[in-house]
Amino acid sequence: MVVVIFLVLTIAFIIVRLAPGDPAAVMLGPESTAEDAAELRAQLGLDRPIIVQYLAFVSNALRGDLGTSIFFKQPVTDVLLGRAEPTVFLSLFSLLIALLIAVPIGIYTAYRRGSLLDQTTISTAMLAASVPSFWTGLMLQRYLATDLGWFPASGYGGPDAMFWERMRHLLLPSIVLGIVNSALILRFTRASMLDILGEDYIRTARSKGMGEGRVILLHALKNAAIPIITVIGLTFALLVSGAVVTERVFNIPGMGNLVVSAVLRRDYPVIQGTLIVVASFYVLINLLTDLAYLLVDKRVKY
Amino acid sequence: MFCLSKPKHILFGAMLAGATSFAPVYAAKIDVGIIGEADTFDPMISTKDVVSIVTQHFVETLYTFDSGWNIAPLLATDLPTISDDGKTYVIGIRQGISFHDGSSMDSADVAASLNRWLTISPRGKGVADRVASIDATGDYEITITMNEPYSPLLSLLAFSNSAAVVYPEEIIGETIDTIVGTGPYMIAEHVPDQYLQLVRFDGYSSRSEPSNGASGARNQIPDEIRFVPIPDASTRVESLLAGEVVFADGLPAESFARLEASEAADPILLKPFGWPIWAINHKAGLLTDKTMRQALQAALPIDDMLFAAFGDDNFFIVDGPMYPEGWVWRSDAGVELFNQNDQSRAAQLLESANYDGTPLRILTSRQYEFHFKMAEVAKVVLEAAGFTVQMDVVDWATLGQRRNDPALWDIYITHSPFLPEPALTSLYSKSSRLGWSNPEKDTILASFTTETDPTTRRELFAQLQNQVFEDVGFIKIGAFNALMGSAKGFEGITATPWPFFWNAKVN
Repeated sequence: MVVVIFLVLTIAFIIVRLAPGDPAAVMLGPESTAEDAAELRAQLGLDRPIIVQYLAFVSNALRGDLGTSIFFKQPVTDVLLGRAEPTVFLSLFSLLIALLIAVPIGIYTAYRRGSLLDQTTISTAMLAASVPSFWTGLMLQRYLATDLGWFPASGYGGPDAMFWERMRHLLLPSIVLGIVNSALILRFTRASMLDILGEDYIRTARSKGMGEGRVILLHALKNAAIPIITVIGLTFALLVSGAVVTERVFNIPGMGNLVVSAVLRRDYPVIQGTLIVVASFYVLINLLTDLAYLLVDKRVKY
Repeated sequence: MFCLSKPKHILFGAMLAGATSFAPVYAAKIDVGIIGEADTFDPMISTKDVVSIVTQHFVETLYTFDSGWNIAPLLATDLPTISDDGKTYVIGIRQGISFHDGSSMDSADVAASLNRWLTISPRGKGVADRVASIDATGDYEITITMNEPYSPLLSLLAFSNSAAVVYPEEIIGETIDTIVGTGPYMIAEHVPDQYLQLVRFDGYSSRSEPSNGASGARNQIPDEIRFVPIPDASTRVESLLAGEVVFADGLPAESFARLEASEAADPILLKPFGWPIWAINHKAGLLTDKTMRQALQAALPIDDMLFAAFGDDNFFIVDGPMYPEGWVWRSDAGVELFNQNDQSRAAQLLESANYDGTPLRILTSRQYEFHFKMAEVAKVVLEAAGFTVQMDVVDWATLGQRRNDPALWDIYITHSPFLPEPALTSLYSKSSRLGWSNPEKDTILASFTTETDPTTRRELFAQLQNQVFEDVGFIKIGAFNALMGSAKGFEGITATPWPFFWNAKVN
């Protein structure tokens, strides 16, 4: 993990510096001159030799200091922590909605393989996976939020918003992300269940007179769980690393929105900090996913 | 949060009002949807419009503009006393003005702030070599001494963009971490990408004259103004229609009909807002040759470019003069060369320039989609005329960097609001990144900036405009309108590129 993080530190620094663009020019605006930009770059420390900037960045990062945002004038760790609540809860709600849609339908369609319901569901899942999330978001925003007023249309509440009010702002984007991500989990659940339902021990269980519910839930689902857990882990990691488009459409101040604005403004410390946090999170999720295998399958050893 | 879409609230409010008096009840807090975060809260250092829009609520300048773009005093007591030679400006400073930290403003704060402005502001630096000194010459008086007369000085001091704002002397440095101003509102909380919460400054001393544009009384009607950055234009529309913001800036043209039909909001069309500009590289490359520039100007179909860019006659005007109808700077000088759409003539000019097919590099960005669309149309036409065109499409941050290197572009596309004083744009100056210079134009410009008589200045500007067309200094691609939107019942706002909300009411 340490090696991965160190590589990410280095790659993040190099990629960001290789990209063209100048945060000073962005900040100063259209009437500024090249000399103005050069002066501001010097003030921001961006005129120092790259190797000096790199060594300072790595040594600070190893002490937990990811630098200061060029635009927000706040420590990057504070900026990232400010995104934690909307990002984590949006990811959890979306995953929950995706699971509530995908797992029961995935199991049922595997059980009723080839039926009209199976074919309809698979087609619908394909459609949900194919439609861009921004389109789904815009449509639901317009009709459910603006026209019907069932949900807030955008944002995360104002200065007075209590916790539940902020969570209310996450409902509609969670539904959008839940629908979009349910397609993949559904297909994995169905495929995995289909494999298991054809196994001899399932036939044996049925021949012993076990009820279908117990066969499906106790024998089939438990054994089909590993690929499902894998895809759930990956989906959660993707969500936490930034549901870029959905956050943008609903103006949710999460990690995705932060990354987009940081890239557009070339806020180098924020881009680097986000990459490091996201990479660390991926490593952590992979670890937790591997540990989850131990719980569902006693045969797995590390 | 104020919500117009809740009829019960309105009814309840009306009942309350009816129980006591018939005085209107105004929302105490207003949410304003803006196009993104202000990149800095120090307006001296930035020429970005979003910075001006936000910061003008908490920092102030000596002068400002009224609704007719006339200069009016703000922190100054009155217009300055100017010496006969036009070199000395004596400016009285208002007494009893408090900063947000409780300290009182005096001439030392003003002089220190203006000297900082000359040192770090893009616009201030542009005038710095003409300023001999800025001194506090009394507790409430400063004197600006110029090396030569410079007539745009007051406009520069009044402009909210790269603004000559006044800070307490104690906080002045190269950078200012915590902004302390004199404005009608002060910063309460800033949560990046969520909101900037401004609260009424109780120690504010408003001017007593009637409100007129940004001048006169600033009545601090809302208790709180919250600027909500909403980068996606469609989301700004939905937020406005859902009643989550009472005003939204920078709305897409396609939303006009929906806003017109809405029961929750009204469209505000700022007509015209500004002008797209093809900035020409006079320092290096193909277009240092005047005949090549004339070929470029001859070929461009401005009307087609505008239609492709905006798609609706409501949102653009095929207009050649540098200023719109009704402005004092309006002139028809040279406009016969505007919108020629004559590719045959362009081809002849290319031939006489011995054009060898070197690519004409157009630097543009899709971050402003209308820039890109007009370039796409122009590319086809320019190629038909015989140009080889190379489109360099990059993001705005890259464009901002590349245009500072004359070796990397021939044209870059940008835009600007119509500014109250022509000298506020750097396009005419040979020291700008365009580097446009010829002896005749430079002489006219020098006379224009030193002349103090308004009528003569207008005549000189007409000559300058003629030079823009004759020498093809840059190309104005007509004019375009901007769409904003406000909630029903929202009033007290002046339609301007830099809207302000201290007099805004939501009944």
